[in-house]
Amino acid sequence: MSTSSTPLASALALRQKARRRREALTAYTFLLPYLFIFLVFTVFSIGYAFYLSFTRYNLLSPPQWWGLEGYRRVLCIESWFPRPENAPKPVCDDLFIRKALPNTFKYTAIVVPTQTLISLILAFAMDQKIRFRRLFRTIFYLPSVTSSVVISLIFVWLFSPLGVINQIFHLKINWLNDPRYAFYTIMMVNIFTTSGTLMLIFLAGLQDIPTALYEAAAIDGANKLQIFRYITIPMLRPVIFFVVTVGVIGCFQVFDQIYVMTAGGPLDSTTTIAYLIYKWAFRDTTVKMGQASALAFILALIIFVVTMLQRRVIEGSGTVGQ
Amino acid sequence: MTILTQARPRPLSLSDRLILWYDRFKTPLFYLILILWAIVCLAPLYFTLVFSLKPVANAYDPPLFWPIPFTLDNFRDVIGALPLFPRWLLNSLIVSLTVTILRVLFCAMGGYAFARMDFPLKGVLFNAMLVSMMIPGQVTLIPAFLVVGPGIIRGGLKIGDITLPTGFGLIDNLGGVILPGIVTAFGIFMMTQFYKSLPRELEEAAMMDGLGRWGIFFRIVLPLSQTQLLTLALLTFQGEWNAFMWPLVILRTPENFTLPLGLNWFRGEYYTLISKVLAGSLFNTLPILILFFLFQRYFVQSIAGTGLKEG
Amino acid sequence: MKALRMTMILTAMLALILAACAPATPQVVKETVEVEKSVVVTQEVVKEVPAQRAVVRLSGWAASPEETALLQSLLLDFTAENPDIVVKYEPITGDFWATLKTSIAAGTEPDIYYMDIFQFPAFVQDDVMLPLDDLMASTGTKKEEFIPSLIDAFSANGKVYGIPKDFNTLGLFYNKDLFTQAGLAEPTDDWTWDDLKAAAQKLSNPANNVYGLGVPADAGRFPIFVFQNGGSIMTPDFQDTLLDAPEAIEAGKFYTSFRAEKIGAIPADVGEGWQGTVFGKGQFAMVYEGGWLIPYLKQQFPNINYGVVTPPAGPKGEGNLIFTVAYVISKNSKNPEAAWRVIHYLTSEAAQKKVMESGFALPTRLSLQESEYLKTNPASAAIFRGALQGARPFMWGLVGSDVNEQMTKALERVYLENMPVEESFKQAAEVIRQKLAELK
Repeated sequence: MSTSSTPLASALALRQKARRRREALTAYTFLLPYLFIFLVFTVFSIGYAFYLSFTRYNLLSPPQWWGLEGYRRVLCIESWFPRPENAPKPVCDDLFIRKALPNTFKYTAIVVPTQTLISLILAFAMDQKIRFRRLFRTIFYLPSVTSSVVISLIFVWLFSPLGVINQIFHLKINWLNDPRYAFYTIMMVNIFTTSGTLMLIFLAGLQDIPTALYEAAAIDGANKLQIFRYITIPMLRPVIFFVVTVGVIGCFQVFDQIYVMTAGGPLDSTTTIAYLIYKWAFRDTTVKMGQASALAFILALIIFVVTMLQRRVIEGSGTVGQ
Repeated sequence: MTILTQARPRPLSLSDRLILWYDRFKTPLFYLILILWAIVCLAPLYFTLVFSLKPVANAYDPPLFWPIPFTLDNFRDVIGALPLFPRWLLNSLIVSLTVTILRVLFCAMGGYAFARMDFPLKGVLFNAMLVSMMIPGQVTLIPAFLVVGPGIIRGGLKIGDITLPTGFGLIDNLGGVILPGIVTAFGIFMMTQFYKSLPRELEEAAMMDGLGRWGIFFRIVLPLSQTQLLTLALLTFQGEWNAFMWPLVILRTPENFTLPLGLNWFRGEYYTLISKVLAGSLFNTLPILILFFLFQRYFVQSIAGTGLKEG
Repeated sequence: MKALRMTMILTAMLALILAACAPATPQVVKETVEVEKSVVVTQEVVKEVPAQRAVVRLSGWAASPEETALLQSLLLDFTAENPDIVVKYEPITGDFWATLKTSIAAGTEPDIYYMDIFQFPAFVQDDVMLPLDDLMASTGTKKEEFIPSLIDAFSANGKVYGIPKDFNTLGLFYNKDLFTQAGLAEPTDDWTWDDLKAAAQKLSNPANNVYGLGVPADAGRFPIFVFQNGGSIMTPDFQDTLLDAPEAIEAGKFYTSFRAEKIGAIPADVGEGWQGTVFGKGQFAMVYEGGWLIPYLKQQFPNINYGVVTPPAGPKGEGNLIFTVAYVISKNSKNPEAAWRVIHYLTSEAAQKKVMESGFALPTRLSLQESEYLKTNPASAAIFRGALQGARPFMWGLVGSDVNEQMTKALERVYLENMPVEESFKQAAEVIRQKLAELK
């Protein structure tokens, strides 16, 4: 296309182009298994769910086109504003706006920083020269290997009013049946189960950092705080991004624990968006799969925005923060 | 600030004092943290064990901390009432191992491509992958089931006289449980982030030696990222081992059940004999713990390999 | 090139693995039979299978390993008598309705499945079940052979859609020892609300965590009080709720008064999730529960000394709930006749007698009313009698789950937030009406 000044330059450009094409081809072969699953499952599943979000669908008879009605009923804008005393209630569900949305944000805001911090501290402690490392690691991993359903069952029992927790600490708290405590109890359970896994990931990340970097820094006279600040944290940044992103996604989609421990109650105090989706999609006698799908995409949008913001913070601060 | 730095002898700055303090207390501090968290992690399982070692009829009697009276009946009952137990164990092993091996390989391949290579649509694909993780599974369950099982179009796609199936037809088949899990966005994302923080020097040297991408990947990158691969393998194995909803939808006959599906038999319709459920759950947990303990070696090795960074 | 070959090898590997996981050949029929109690034998029966054997898939929730074994032994008897039919039993050990509805959405549902009365309206509306009248006529089965309130519950638009397999009602379970300690006469079938309250007062000892009556915020218990007060949860056509009618509110006031006066409690007050456990531990002297409590107490609390009577009558007489499950046939079934023969066998007098004698469930056939088993098991007999005393199906129409949820919340608001009963029930009724409007 563009006429080069010398034949050599054009030959070089050609070779580079060929090289790039070869690399692209190699990259795609590396990605082939993923692309297969992505195209066959992910694209179709999400596309189908997206279509369903514009329908009314109770699973027992075919979906009917419903336009944006599902989204309207989820958002229930009418309920955002005070309505006159005897005006009829709007035909929509304000559970999302009133309970599920604030609950989900609260959950994420508390659980993600806590579990990230705990697991980072644990990973850092494990990365030291300590005895019994093997034993500690196995123990820390215990909560993660037990299925979340079983862990939840155990915790229902531990946190019952006459349960072990209240007996040990001489408390009289109705952990799971009091709207004031139920949600925090579930948060504790989640932090407890995920910290072990995240610790493993951090630990693997910490081991990636070449010792040479630390040695070089030490020769340059950097102190330990500086090493941590300018080597460990920046080198760990991709892993931190991963842990936080996965944490955010997991928290926004928290379901298992709530399903087993409280089923959204008492009085909706533990109803999260994912639980509401499940409730609409499967639990109600008259299933609202369309509306559930609409909510799923609203949730995805929320997660997307939060992830992008957080990506900017984690990946951007490296250059700004110094 | 200026006064401080000009003063000599230089007094200890805050960060220096912090470091001194840290050096003195770090070992006991770390042990304290580790031991405290270890107790937190052990307690629930310990109580589970105690509970499942008590007779059903004494489940609610004190003492809470010790299995008195002691019995192994719950465990015996779980095994005895479920003649298919060995079969389920085998099924669970087949599913978990197959998924783990394939997923680790495929995710490492994908992650490496995203972390190191340039190709058209890379950004789009990566972001699409992230977005696909954001859609909750409850709404993609049915379409995924259609693809694995009966097909997107009921009765198949008819072109002239030929009917093409639009699904894999893997209902009541372990393959149907395995197939969608052989590679996941989560795994690729994880490996991408790991490979991004892996130093490039070795690969560049290998490339100078004329090694191709596949050679580099299999001979250098895979061995180098042993810890990360093991981490992903463990997460995968554990996730698949405990998976419930997807196998529940796919598997139909008891002979094809995985362990969690089978053990869930003890969660009754109206009531649950919690001692038996907990005993069953221990059967489910034990294999992974053993596996984890076996693989410990490799984790420890790679820590030693990095030369132990002291604080 | 190398890359491509690698991928091909991997794909081939994958294909191999998938092929290896294919189901076993259908010639080997593996059956599990419970011969005697707790002796389980696995038989491998290799048969010459005629090509034209009709396959019938049967799906239900897995209630307990023992109950499953019983069903499987019945199915084995059936195949012995009917060699031309293969019954594939497909228990669902998890979320039954989500799994079943997913199968229906994909067109892969089993030929026969369990149908709970609570879910029945939605399945009728969408016309996914086969009407059974013609099939019933083919074997000479008559509607009148079953307890009317049960078979009627599974009928709609003049057609029968399900044959009730078993049922339960609520009985008043009472702890005999606690009654003796308090110097009280044991309850009878003729008790009234006043007797109930008077007894609860004497039986309670909050300092020791002992309460007279369990009054959980449970939509599966509370409605009988509304019925006994002459009220109802829904209008007969299920188009409106009567939860804010005076009868229901009054019943709500009576029901919640037990906890307010500390002569009753919810299970969470004493550290449990289910009042059956609390009853077993001797902390609730009386609870309203169904027949399912009987095997539970036998296993978990073998030493408890208890009795069962039908629920005490309210100001407007008797009232009870019926929990019942039926076998239904899918409209998409390719072998409806074979499926019917399976149902016919499983609900036959002989089969029901076996189930009853194992203590798992009560029979739905009227002819078994006078059976020896009920005479020697007074607790089960009381539950059985409940069906004939003003009992109504546990079913609230298409918005059933919402009604249940709102009823639970209405009681929770009273219990946990001290909201007045009237206000709480009005709030619940308003939400139910909104849900009804959402259906349109």
